[in-house]
Amino acid sequence: MSGRWLAGKAGAAMLTLIFVIIFNFFLFRVMGDPTTQLARLPNSSPEEIEKLRADYGIDKPLSGQFLDYAGDTVRLDFGVSQRSREEVWDEMKAALPWTLLLVGTGTVLATLIGSWMGVIAATRRGKKTDDSLLGFSLLTYAAPEYWIGIILILVFAVAAPILPAGQQVTPGVEFSSWISEALSVAEHMILPVTAMTLMLLGQYFLIMRSSMVDVLTEDFITVKRAIGLSHEQVIRRHAVPNALLPLVTLSAIQFGAVVGGAITIETVFSWPGLGELSFNAINDKDFPVLAGTFLVFSAGVILANLAADILYFFLDPRVQAR
Amino acid sequence: MASTRGPRGHRGLIAAVAALVAALALIGVVALPAAAQDSGGSGDTSTETTATTADDSGDAVLRIGWAQDPQTLNPFVALDEENYNVWALNWDLLVNFSAEDLSPAPGIAESWEVSEDRKTVTFKLDPNRNWSDGEPITSKDVKFSLETLGKEGDLFAGYTSNVTKIETPDDETVVITTKQPDARIVGGLFIYMLPEHIWGKVPIDELTGSYQPELPLVGSGPYVLTEFSRGRIIRMERNPEWQGPEPAFSEVQYIKYGNQDAVERALRLGEVDMVVEVDPSTFERLESDPNIETLSSPSPSYTQLAFNLCPDDLCPDAQFNPAVQDVAVRQALAYAVDRDKVNAISARGTAFPGSGILPSFYEAFYEVPEQNYPLDVELAKQILDDAGWVDNGDNPRTKDGEELSFDLAVRSESPTNIQAAKLVAEQAAEIGIEFNVDVVSVDKLTEMTIRKVDGKPAPEFDTFIWGWGGDPYDPSFLMSLLTTDEIGGLSDGFYSNPEYDALYTEQAGIFDTAERKSLIQEMVALTQEDVAYLVLTEDPNLQAYRTDRIQGIEPSCPSDGGDLICEQVSYEPLLTIEPATGSSASSSDDGGGSAGVLIGIAAVVVIGGGLLFWRSRKKKSDEPLEMEE
Repeated sequence: MSGRWLAGKAGAAMLTLIFVIIFNFFLFRVMGDPTTQLARLPNSSPEEIEKLRADYGIDKPLSGQFLDYAGDTVRLDFGVSQRSREEVWDEMKAALPWTLLLVGTGTVLATLIGSWMGVIAATRRGKKTDDSLLGFSLLTYAAPEYWIGIILILVFAVAAPILPAGQQVTPGVEFSSWISEALSVAEHMILPVTAMTLMLLGQYFLIMRSSMVDVLTEDFITVKRAIGLSHEQVIRRHAVPNALLPLVTLSAIQFGAVVGGAITIETVFSWPGLGELSFNAINDKDFPVLAGTFLVFSAGVILANLAADILYFFLDPRVQAR
Repeated sequence: MASTRGPRGHRGLIAAVAALVAALALIGVVALPAAAQDSGGSGDTSTETTATTADDSGDAVLRIGWAQDPQTLNPFVALDEENYNVWALNWDLLVNFSAEDLSPAPGIAESWEVSEDRKTVTFKLDPNRNWSDGEPITSKDVKFSLETLGKEGDLFAGYTSNVTKIETPDDETVVITTKQPDARIVGGLFIYMLPEHIWGKVPIDELTGSYQPELPLVGSGPYVLTEFSRGRIIRMERNPEWQGPEPAFSEVQYIKYGNQDAVERALRLGEVDMVVEVDPSTFERLESDPNIETLSSPSPSYTQLAFNLCPDDLCPDAQFNPAVQDVAVRQALAYAVDRDKVNAISARGTAFPGSGILPSFYEAFYEVPEQNYPLDVELAKQILDDAGWVDNGDNPRTKDGEELSFDLAVRSESPTNIQAAKLVAEQAAEIGIEFNVDVVSVDKLTEMTIRKVDGKPAPEFDTFIWGWGGDPYDPSFLMSLLTTDEIGGLSDGFYSNPEYDALYTEQAGIFDTAERKSLIQEMVALTQEDVAYLVLTEDPNLQAYRTDRIQGIEPSCPSDGGDLICEQVSYEPLLTIEPATGSSASSSDDGGGSAGVLIGIAAVVVIGGGLLFWRSRKKKSDEPLEMEE
């Protein structure tokens, strides 16, 4: 029973992924003949255009093109970037760790801080603490993340220049050891991760708060209190674990979506991740890179959803019992 | 594939993982107290300043900051202007540009001789010069470069269009023969000389495909490129085989920042010593810094108001308001548009007011045109009256059902151009000419100008504002834009004048500067009379450097009114500038000290943060549970 449930989820994820791959193929074909964009000089000769078309394999019929494309995609061959002439996969491989680092740290921090704030607010519902936390998180939730990023740069890198305004390490520095390089990276992460955390914080806070409020009104909490457990114990051992469930799902699903959502933050802070890569690809009309990042973003969302399902399966016994 | 990328990929990953741990600790303390409303983060960020700028070991490094770096070093496929900054230090041209006045100077060729009929030029190479890998530089390299890079390189095609034959009778001699005499063979063959023993081994398909050159980039200039981490740094070190005067800086670094603001911040903080492309908006701010010297110098590029002048026989399907082809209208406009004001407002006074199609940058050929259209609104009105355009008060002037109302297209990505368009519209309105400013994407504007119907050009615009940039010494490229031959090619104003065409062909074959100048002046006069383009501004090079880091900077290229280091054109100035006396040579190793400091900070921060967290937990647990009913 439960195995079939998991297999079903995985199958659905697979199907979605296949659909995205097919969609991706047509999306970039609908935009027209790429050679018209590639032939930069207005008077390129017909032979040059023919050669370009052959290079890109677009002189073949659509079905043949699709088979080439599907085969290449499975082999992770996304072609060569128009601008840097490097393999798109290599470019993405170089960018991915930076995105994961930024998004990962941001998500972990937002989850921890957001849920912590949620617990505090829920236990003091209606009090001043609750109001101010609610106000704060609604503000950061509503504010566009690039705006938060710019404000952070203005305050901490321009007005009081104590933190670097962008990039992942201090440019032009030779590091004597990986420790000093890691520290430089850590220093450069502070502002973008803060922006990322502030952007995500609100949702975790709100979910955790309402979830906690629900749990706190349940009978078993009153029972636990009645049998003499301290406030600390009631909250930590009984209320929080029960309230955490929706948060875990949100966190996993969010992680997928946020890989793409980091585009604006990465651009504002010149963070060399997938977001900046795709932003530059749009500017340069670098279609191979764009198609590659598009696929990775989609796959990220699909896989994160699957991960959330699996996680839920193990965390919530009710799913297994079904 | 990743050979040119080096450290970014793998080491980056390790660093990233390691950083995650460190970052969690650091950020924890910045973010946690801010989030917990009862313990405001009390200044815990203030100590974490960048500890990587100042240290004083090793040789002098010249650090140049920029916001845009090249995407690839392969000259066959590169399209970035920034490539020239590094190529110009790495490679020679067959004939270089002198830093003094940009005139022809020895490059790979030591000397040259033009034949009687001016169709054959014989170049002599120095038999003792070597590539940076020790191989001798020979005539084979020259032939290979001209024939391969000059034909296949996206940025280098076109210069050898007149060449019929390249012969190499021996290792030190190259003989170039052209169809017609072509002065560019000596003064404007902007094709880098590459070592044939390296590039010649790679199939041409690969060179024009995904080939990435191996480092160090074997060259002939005073520096060779030894590291290329895209998005981070380009490092160039002294060429061991360089025979000229030894440059004072042992290393030149081009350091990539996220954007122009970050570059300027780095210059202020002394993270870089020089910026070779400053934004007009921040130029003034930098001027006020006592340790920073700024320089605005003319460049071979301009911004022009272009008109759709395509004659009916060449563009039967062109679409535009025909009134734009009335020369009286264009002359009136030229008198009515205040180019000083356009410069002062749209370019914040950092550019130079335009004066015809030849930028003053081309000193050897430049003269202020006799007809330079000084601002004269009354005269402008008079010209329109005389041409029969009836004044309709606040409405556009009319004549025989035609109306002086034009669309003015301008690129969305250039705030400067948009501002200029608004000013033009404002000033033209005073004499009864209406401009409807239409902000469009670059693609759209390109499409409007290169549109074709049945294989013939069919431009679809009235007027637009855009710019052109030319070669460092030879003005032929800029002058060619207005020839009839370029209609259907690069011409975007579709100007056609047989007299101009004839003069163009003639001047291209004249090697004598004075003689050529008078022909070029005639061409300028023709286009001024016809107002083929209304050149609004000549665009500047805006640069800045730290006086406490570099000394010995003299404007160069040309020495009278040129730029800081002859950027993209000549390596000569880099042989004479040196680290400022008293400044600690700016090496860029971060040393162990700063790492130690940072580790210390991190430790304090982790312990402090932990303590705060623990205390807040403890405090909370003491409080009674407050719960809803």
